[in-house]
Amino acid sequence: MTDSVVIERHFDAPVELVWKMWTESEHFAAWYGPMGATIPVAKMNVRVGGSRHICMAMETPNGPMQMWFVGEFLEIVANERLVYTEAMSDEDGNVISPAQMGMPEGHPETTQVIVELEPVDGKTKMTMTHIGVPADSPGASGWGMAFDKLNAYLSTASR
Amino acid sequence: MVAALEEERLTETFAALANPTRRAILARLAHGEASVTELAEPFDMSLPAVSKHIRVLERAGLVTQGQRAQYRPCTLNAAPLEAVSSWAEHYRPVWEDRFDRMGGYLNHIQTQPHSNLDI
Repeated sequence: MTDSVVIERHFDAPVELVWKMWTESEHFAAWYGPMGATIPVAKMNVRVGGSRHICMAMETPNGPMQMWFVGEFLEIVANERLVYTEAMSDEDGNVISPAQMGMPEGHPETTQVIVELEPVDGKTKMTMTHIGVPADSPGASGWGMAFDKLNAYLSTASR
Repeated sequence: MVAALEEERLTETFAALANPTRRAILARLAHGEASVTELAEPFDMSLPAVSKHIRVLERAGLVTQGQRAQYRPCTLNAAPLEAVSSWAEHYRPVWEDRFDRMGGYLNHIQTQPHSNLDI
């Protein structure tokens, strides 16, 4: 079950500028936070395999709250195509599973954001696809197997 | 606007779920209604402290407390949890809202005479 969101937008700006919206911290922070939230940290090492670490801060009825996200850039074709992963994390970049956040099963631990830009008469057509990385993907099962092994090792070790 | 309201609601749901005591209360209520006293039993906590957690869950729409004077049982309302679980449908308004802001920001910086954009 791969859940996804696809959104297409046209912006009255050249692709080079829209690209900066996604790849330069200062610009990214200006639009990314939801209403009432700020982006105090947006570290982006924009190269394939480079990491991103984003902090979203907001006021809630229970006081200030911070949410951290980590990810990795998977594909970078300047002004054309950007693919990165995203997962919830702590301040140090350690991934927090949706289950640890108290979320029900079915929320993917890692999601992937694909941004495609296309110039149209000096303006930009942008298509953003946000997909869940299915739990049965090769990467996920690799991690699953690693954790199974670790659990088996720990239960043997504690005997 | 709808996106902002949904965002606010989801923030409340996350904030409510971010506490282990409140998650334990929800897990208990998943088995059926319970009074505040019954909910407090497994915790080393005063009744007012547990009531405070219940009020947070109520505000997030996760728990409903009955109105009968003597015995006001709490019941679980799972609807906000479903909104969290269908993550993609939740994200759509979040992204729409973000891209509205991106559009506004793009217009703003392109009309700023001093903006220092080396494109």
